[in-house]
Amino acid sequence: MNISEQTIGIDPVSHHLNDETLLDYACGALPVAMETLVACHLTVCPHCRERNQLADNVNGQMLADQKPATIKLSAAELLSQARSKPAISVSKKTNAVGDKSVPRPLGRLLPGPIESLEWRAVAPGIKQFALNNQPRQAGAFKLLRLEPGITLSQHTHNERELTYVVRGSYRDEIGHFKAGDIADLDGHVEHKPIVGDEEVCIALIATDAPVKYTTMLGKIMQPFVGI
Amino acid sequence: MMEAIRNLAQDTTSASSAKAVVDPATQKAQMRQHLVAIGANRDEEAFVSVYEYFAGRVKSFLIGKGMNEDSAEELMQEIMLIIWRRAESYDPAKAAASTWIFTIARNRHIDFIRGNKRIEVELDDEILELETTERDVQEKHVNDEQAAVRLARALDRLPQEQRQVMHLSYFRGQSHGAIAQWLDLPIGTVKSRIRLAMQAVRTQLVAEDFEH
Repeated sequence: MNISEQTIGIDPVSHHLNDETLLDYACGALPVAMETLVACHLTVCPHCRERNQLADNVNGQMLADQKPATIKLSAAELLSQARSKPAISVSKKTNAVGDKSVPRPLGRLLPGPIESLEWRAVAPGIKQFALNNQPRQAGAFKLLRLEPGITLSQHTHNERELTYVVRGSYRDEIGHFKAGDIADLDGHVEHKPIVGDEEVCIALIATDAPVKYTTMLGKIMQPFVGI
Repeated sequence: MMEAIRNLAQDTTSASSAKAVVDPATQKAQMRQHLVAIGANRDEEAFVSVYEYFAGRVKSFLIGKGMNEDSAEELMQEIMLIIWRRAESYDPAKAAASTWIFTIARNRHIDFIRGNKRIEVELDDEILELETTERDVQEKHVNDEQAAVRLARALDRLPQEQRQVMHLSYFRGQSHGAIAQWLDLPIGTVKSRIRLAMQAVRTQLVAEDFEH
């Protein structure tokens, strides 16, 4: 792996969303945390945007094939009602973008630039920034800031874990994940990520359920660490 | 008018029923043109056609998501009004009418049940990556009527077990994990059926592209 390639960021995204995750996204079946992660990857990955378009087309076709329900109001009646009522003001309120160097779905969740967040140290070399305050059972949604070169404990996942690499890189049994890449993992994968030496790695994590660690140290750290 | 819509709703059992005497490609092209006409000059006749075809389907979609008759009717009306008011944002070169209407119905339903908007790519994001590779071009599908008809045929040709998971995913709006539980199947089986189905749709579109 050529270092200069990574630092100037000309490598195209090489780890993509799985078909079933894209379909879940297209059907509106993902929780907000995972939806955000998918939207981050789609922002930097034209390849997955095309695949996402195909999933929307499939669903559009299913809508066209669907048996229609009986409706109560005619088009003319609907339009005349609409004229006599003011337009429903759909709230357009969206959060300000706290960091414009990251995809907006993430940038809107940040109070400021990613480097200057109030990171909380959770283990040597590992800091985190929580993006929700739901109980851990509901799944995690957070940013991790990992020092160059550190190794995370070997672990596996109960259900599904999505990781979006915001900065830097890490490597595990599956491959080398760089900025823009997504790791779309399920419970069958046991892995031990090693952060790249060259720079801090910042990763966005969303899980369905708590991570299951397979070593003792991992079990102790379980409450704190994603990826 | 009401009568006509009721009849349409009762007669039409699926896209392949006798009502669909218009050739599917023509029908799809007409729907695209109707949306464009609504966007360009609030064409009421065009809206009546779009409404007659899609209103009952959108309502079915919402009932499938677990809404009762009354709330589904109400939300359907809201969705049809969004189509009426925002048709100028529809780009006929980018998507079939059914795709655009599906995305509006899905997003409005998410907004309704969750109380916050679906998170999507923002197309004016400063860091939106536009550069495509060779692989993306292969993935890129023409979005014309012929492609839409081929997509419909590809879905029809799926083996029953693959069609089932695709239908459940659409109708129930549940994740593949929930579908696996519902069907009492290992999650890996559901995943591989989804992958095979999407692959089949892709290869049929690509293979038929070569024939033309």
